[in-house]
Amino acid sequence: MTDRPASAMTHDDVRDLVPGYVLGALEPDEERAVREHLATCTEPHPDVDAFGGVVPYLDETVELIEPPASLKARVLAAAAAEPRSTPEVAVPATTARDGIAGTAATPQSPGTRDAAAPATRAPAAPPAPRQGPPSIVVPFPDEQERAVRERRRRSPLRWLAAAAAVLAIVALGGWNLLLQRQLATQQTFDSAVAQVLDVAARPGSQTAILHADTSNGPRGIASVGPDGTVAFAVRDLAPTTGAGVYEAWAVSGDRQTPLGSFSVAADGSGQLVARTSAPTAGLILGLSREPAPGATVPTLPMITSGTATAAPSS
Amino acid sequence: MSETIGTPKRGPATAVDDADREILARVAAGELNALEELYDRYRTMAYSIALRITGESGMAEDIVQEAFLGAWRNAGRYVEGRGSVKTWLLSIVHHRAIDAIRRRRATTELPDREETPPPALTAPDIWPEVAGKLLRLEILAALRTLSDVQREAIELAYFGGLTQQEVAARTDTPLGTVKSRIRLGLLAMRRELLGAGLDASDRDLSAMAEP
Repeated sequence: MTDRPASAMTHDDVRDLVPGYVLGALEPDEERAVREHLATCTEPHPDVDAFGGVVPYLDETVELIEPPASLKARVLAAAAAEPRSTPEVAVPATTARDGIAGTAATPQSPGTRDAAAPATRAPAAPPAPRQGPPSIVVPFPDEQERAVRERRRRSPLRWLAAAAAVLAIVALGGWNLLLQRQLATQQTFDSAVAQVLDVAARPGSQTAILHADTSNGPRGIASVGPDGTVAFAVRDLAPTTGAGVYEAWAVSGDRQTPLGSFSVAADGSGQLVARTSAPTAGLILGLSREPAPGATVPTLPMITSGTATAAPSS
Repeated sequence: MSETIGTPKRGPATAVDDADREILARVAAGELNALEELYDRYRTMAYSIALRITGESGMAEDIVQEAFLGAWRNAGRYVEGRGSVKTWLLSIVHHRAIDAIRRRRATTELPDREETPPPALTAPDIWPEVAGKLLRLEILAALRTLSDVQREAIELAYFGGLTQQEVAARTDTPLGTVKSRIRLGLLAMRRELLGAGLDASDRDLSAMAEP
C-alpha cells in the first residue's frame, strides 16, 4: 500500500485515507500526499469536514484534570520572554554572537525550555526509519510554525539565536517587550501572592515569611490553611535547568514532608499550591533545590525557608 | 475559498465563540493578559488531553506550555472560517502530544505491544464532575453506538498516537479492516451527533467552553 508513489494519489485514494487523516493516523508519506492533494484538488472533499467534524468531540471524552497552578506562571513567563513575529528569520548570525558576548545570560528563559526536555529528550537521535519525522495531520496547525520549531530543535545554537533576537529587538526600540516581560513577571508573582493570602486569610491558618541566608536570595511567603491547603509564592529564584526543580517542604520536628515541585523560568518567580496536613506548632516551610522531581529528603541547606506562625488575632 | 475543498457551513457563532475570537485577536496584538485569559479558559481541556495522550504529567505540562506558546506566536494566522478558537487550540495540543509520544516511542526499546494500552474510550462513570453536562452525555451515547473494535481502533489512533498501520500490527488485524473500523466508527459517531442536534460538520464546539 505504501509503495504507491505519493504523487500519484488519485481522488479516490485520498478519500480512502481521510478518516485516518483527520485522526492524525497516517504514515508520514501518506499524510504529506493527502495534504498536497487537498491543497491542489479542484474537486470538493466534503468528507474531510464530515470526518473532521467528529474529532473535536473525541476531545470532549477526556477526563478533566486541572494542571498544576505553577504551569500558568511558566506559560506566561515563556510567552513574555518570546520575541514576537518570527524574529529568528531576521537575526543575522553576527548579532547572535554579539548577543552572547554581551548580556545574553538572563534575557531568555532557558529554564522554561529546558523543562521541555522530557518531551524532546532524544536530542540528536535520528528517528527510526519506520517512524520517520513525527508528523500528524489535524487540519489547521501551522506547518510554518512546525518548521520553525524543527529548525530550533535541530540547531544547537537555537538558544543563542533566541537570546540574541531579544537583544536585537531591544536594540531596535523594542522596549515594549521588556516592559511586557516585567509586567508579566509582576503579575505572575502578584497572583501567586494573592493565592497565598487567600489561604492565610482562613481562620486557623499559619503563614511563614520565607527568606534566604543571604540578603538578596530568594524570598517569598507561604501559608498553610486549616484544611492542609498550602500555597507558596517565591521570587528571585535562579531559573531551573534540565530536570532540576524546586521542591517545597513542610518540616515538623524531624518529619520532612515533600509538598510538590516546580520549575522556574527566567523571571525567577515560582508558585505552588498543594495539599498537606493541617499546620502544627513550629512548622517550617521551605524550598530546596533538587536535581529532579520526587525527592524524599531535601537537599540542604534549604534555599529559602521560614517558620509558620498563626496570624495574631486582632 | 468555498469551491476548493468544500468549506463547511458555519453554524451560528455563539457568544463564547465570539469572545474567544476577541481574545485571540488581542493575543495576536501581543497582549499577555489576553493569553492569560485564553489559558484560563482552556488550560483544563488542554492539560487533560495532553495527559490522556502522554500519561505523564511533566510531559503534559510541557506540551500545554508549547501549545500556548504556539498560540502566542501564531494567533495572527488563525483562520476564522476553519473552526472555533477552542478547536484550533486543542488541535495544536493534540498535535504536539502525538508528536511527543511518537518521539518517545522512537527512542524506547520496548516494543509497542508491551506498553500499557491507553484507557478505553468508553467508561460511563469516569466524569462525575461533568455528568450533568448534556453534551458529554450525548457524546457518550454516540460512542456507545460504536462496536468495541471500532472504539479501540479510534482510541489507539487518536489518543494512542498510532498510525493505522501500527493499529493493525498492534491488534493483529489486516490494515483494510482497521481502516474500515475507523471509517465506520467515525461515521456512526457523526450520525449520532447529528441526530442529537449537534453540529458535526463544523468543528464548532465553542458552546462547550470551560467553566
